[in-house]
Amino acid sequence: MSAEVARPHSREFVQALAAELSKLWSLPAVWLTLGGSLILNLVLAAAFVSAGLQDLTGTPNALDIGLASISYIQAGYIVLGIVASCSEYTGGQIRTTLTAMPRRSLQLIAAHLALTIVVVPAALITATSGVLLAAIALGDASAPVELGSTVGILAGVTGYLGLTTLISASFGVLLRRTLPAAIVVLGYTFIAGPILREQTTQAKYLPDTAGLAMWFPQPGDASALSPVHGATVLVAWTLGAFVVALAVYRKRDT
Amino acid sequence: MRAITAELSKLFSLLSVWVALAIGMIVPTAIAALNSVSTRKEIALGDHTAVGIDMGYQELAFGVIGAIIIGVVAISHEYFAESGESGGGRQITTSLIAIPSRLRFLFAKATAVAMVSAVLASAAAIATMAAIRIVLGDHAPEIGSEDVPRLAGIVCYWVLTALLAFGITVLTRHGIVPLAILIVNTSVVTVTYLLTRLTSLAYYFPDMAGIRMFIRNLEDSTVEIAPLVGGLVMTAWVAALLIIAAIVFCRRDA
Repeated sequence: MSAEVARPHSREFVQALAAELSKLWSLPAVWLTLGGSLILNLVLAAAFVSAGLQDLTGTPNALDIGLASISYIQAGYIVLGIVASCSEYTGGQIRTTLTAMPRRSLQLIAAHLALTIVVVPAALITATSGVLLAAIALGDASAPVELGSTVGILAGVTGYLGLTTLISASFGVLLRRTLPAAIVVLGYTFIAGPILREQTTQAKYLPDTAGLAMWFPQPGDASALSPVHGATVLVAWTLGAFVVALAVYRKRDT
Repeated sequence: MRAITAELSKLFSLLSVWVALAIGMIVPTAIAALNSVSTRKEIALGDHTAVGIDMGYQELAFGVIGAIIIGVVAISHEYFAESGESGGGRQITTSLIAIPSRLRFLFAKATAVAMVSAVLASAAAIATMAAIRIVLGDHAPEIGSEDVPRLAGIVCYWVLTALLAFGITVLTRHGIVPLAILIVNTSVVTVTYLLTRLTSLAYYFPDMAGIRMFIRNLEDSTVEIAPLVGGLVMTAWVAALLIIAAIVFCRRDA
């Protein structure tokens, strides 16, 4: 039986990653949420452009207007992260998964990495499409936008959406059921988060507000976090959520 | 009547409904208390105009998320499939054996949802107004007989929103999409509010029309809608949606 030991860890991980990617690939909900988010983002961006053209108080900026819809579209990415985790628990997929990949830490890391691989290009495409649409529609009416800052902010949006998806996936692992996890994460992001942001300055260290600093800089506010600082805080939250989810996942039955 | 009792009993056996009741009570009360604390500071600084006409009512507009969750899970749990080894069954098959008339089943369920949301809305309104009175003391806005229609408007708004969520979920048979859309649209700046920047027709969306029942001072509103008209517009939306849902529900396989 000693031949069974021969598979090195690195190979085991690569195989686990391939398996997780194949599972995500085969999940219609992944394509529906990503496609739906992209389409809704374009619709909302068009609405924002049209509102920006009517607004006579200032010069519209293609970058700001093209990204304004992201704070709504993130709901799609939150749902994606939760669905990806909770799909294991509708039916008995999780038992098959754990039979094939008994090492839970390795499986969960592979699952999160696979999710990252799927989400990052999708988020980049979604964010870029909104900005492009705004830039084309506004044309000369747009205030000049520097290429360097555009690239930085698009990277910030992509990172923000990716990390938000990973936090949602960790909550999905913790709660195991789609609707309760969605209530918690969506309720926090859309209701509790914005209200806390208005109430206390300490809210800048909360995941949603810190993440906002990555792509929505507030030059007027000296106490606001810088994009890099915000990214660090959000990465810390993501790692924290992952560690808690992993600890619980390893302790319980399935 | 027995059908309604059965539906109420099913509702209260769901953990999500209890979570929804807690959210519906805590969210508006806590926000109102926090806002009152900052209002008290402004009053102490000599600003006696700090108490707005919509104090309390604005907070109650956020609490509607509790009613949304009740409306969504009331129907989505019927379609939740058990895992393979418990037979892969769904509640809906049992429910329809017990109440074979689809219309009666749907009517009983909608009634149960409306009753629970109405009680929740009344309790939340009382708790929110009490919280403001406790924090602000004599500075709290007076509540007299002229406020009764506004408070009734809150209850109508919550009930109609719960039925709206219920109607959408009957059509989708899964809770995640209606839940995501409706929670996103309860956030501080709602999507429908942004659409009013684009076209004044957006003031006739169910939520934008419905809040006229109790919000008196809608920020830069260009269209004035009387409270009663707003309520009727929202009722028309919900009635239309429920009729569509009933037709679809009666004609398709469970």
